[in-house]
Amino acid sequence: MEYSILLQELKNKFDKSILSIDETADIPTVVISSTSVKEIISFLKEQQNFIFLTDLCGIHYPEQEKELGVIYHLHNLVDNKRLRLKTFVTKANPQIESIVSVFSGANWMERETFDFYGVDFVGHPNLIRILNVEYMDYHPMLKEYPLEDATRTDKDDRFFGR
Amino acid sequence: MKTINSEHHLDLTKEDEKVYSTLNLGPTHPATHGIFQNVLTMNGETIVATEQTIGYIHRAFEKIAERRPYYQITTLTDRLNYCSSPLNNIGWHLAVEKLLGVETNKRVDYMRIIVMELARIADHLVCNSVIGVDSGALTGFVYLFQEREKIYEIYEELCGARLTTNLGCVGGFDRDFSIVAIQKIREVMKGLPKVLHEFENLLMRNRIFMDRTINVGGITADRALNYGFSGPCLRAAGIDYDVRVQEPYSSYNDFDFIVPIGQNGDTYDRFCVRQTEMWESIKLVNNALENLPEGKFNTEVPAFYFPPKEDVYSKMEPLISHFKKVMGEIDIPAKEIYKAVEGANGELGFYVVADGGRTPYRLHFRRPGFIYYQAFPEMIAGQSLSDAILTMSSMNVIAGELDA
Repeated sequence: MEYSILLQELKNKFDKSILSIDETADIPTVVISSTSVKEIISFLKEQQNFIFLTDLCGIHYPEQEKELGVIYHLHNLVDNKRLRLKTFVTKANPQIESIVSVFSGANWMERETFDFYGVDFVGHPNLIRILNVEYMDYHPMLKEYPLEDATRTDKDDRFFGR
Repeated sequence: MKTINSEHHLDLTKEDEKVYSTLNLGPTHPATHGIFQNVLTMNGETIVATEQTIGYIHRAFEKIAERRPYYQITTLTDRLNYCSSPLNNIGWHLAVEKLLGVETNKRVDYMRIIVMELARIADHLVCNSVIGVDSGALTGFVYLFQEREKIYEIYEELCGARLTTNLGCVGGFDRDFSIVAIQKIREVMKGLPKVLHEFENLLMRNRIFMDRTINVGGITADRALNYGFSGPCLRAAGIDYDVRVQEPYSSYNDFDFIVPIGQNGDTYDRFCVRQTEMWESIKLVNNALENLPEGKFNTEVPAFYFPPKEDVYSKMEPLISHFKKVMGEIDIPAKEIYKAVEGANGELGFYVVADGGRTPYRLHFRRPGFIYYQAFPEMIAGQSLSDAILTMSSMNVIAGELDA
């Protein structure tokens, strides 16, 4: 399997859902629309041998219109090819279809992403916090929560980054 | 009587309580080897459903990493799988090197293979000897722990630390292997086969041990893949996925080694796979040590390579550059990478999103233990409590890795 053929096939099949393709990254990266995540991942698994979900994690870009991102790393173990899928949603409507029915391993990874970023995985069997306490009322990995106390005055961070 | 689905834990009604009982395994239970809780619903001796709670030692590493310069993140990786921290350290260094596009020289690669395989041996030693302990055979544990101690002495010689090693740096090592270190590695490699043989004689064909572990906590290859298993647990189920072979890093392709696989994916297979992997690791260490190329122990990565100490103390430019590097004011290309290494428990991945700043914009650790531990309820459903303990220890679940 060649990446060019795969990407072409994806483009043909899911033309409307493929937002952009980046072949220059270390792993070919496809940005897909948040409504067809499950469809595309099922297709990749069933028909393109991407049988291994390596990783699923969230990311937050506060300056973007669609702030929250979810990144899927898939691995075709037969041909030893990796693929990265990205999808973005707004913070007001963070709904993405859950892929637990496709990959059981996504269960905790989606819970982790929900826990830290507040992404709502629709159809997840048990979407509750996993690493943080249940009564936490915010999602701590969002960029608006600084690691250090923002009211601190004794330390000037201007010169050394975030 | 309700039928209880193994995936969903139910609140038991009065009527159910006559049949089912609830048992708390953990958070601090000597047999769980770490702090995580399992609430078991039992029908007599048989486990019907399991509810897992993790996160007791969550330390927000991913958040902390967003404020730390790259070289300071090495200390965070130590604390993931703390039974084989040098492996995590070197994995992280390889990830940063991939981000920077650095090619390391052969000597660095071989030195890394030696350290990584030593760490793998140390990790498997703990795991396999603990399977013995949990099945009631304490003797093997005492034998093997002595060897692990010797490996820790090697770490001590290499970097000064034992458990949280912070070993090496981006580009290679802080210093070359000393004569004492090489001597110690040779000694361990000479003594270990004898001890491993002795250990295998104790357990491998031991009727009691086999009865306790065969067909206990099994998982099929299909389910294991679906759950994202990797490392020895996946290979025990019969799938020969090893990152060292699939995506060779650090010159692993120079070496010839076998990737052992099992058939049934049960506790016994996991035990045997780890045992065989140790033999392969011994071969790898010996090979790498024999063929250790001449050269520098460090590839000069300008952004991470400190100037010589005496220059820092006496000259202006080296002092400035040293200061800038310590403060993390270095040029990092704005791109994202995923780098995986074969950790002791499986595919240990680092997903780094860099925006050109001094710290990663986002860093995600793919922790193998976190991903495959969720299959635990499925693996122990219908088995007894003592089998559950054995299954857990054969999965080598480590709380540090689980909770990040």
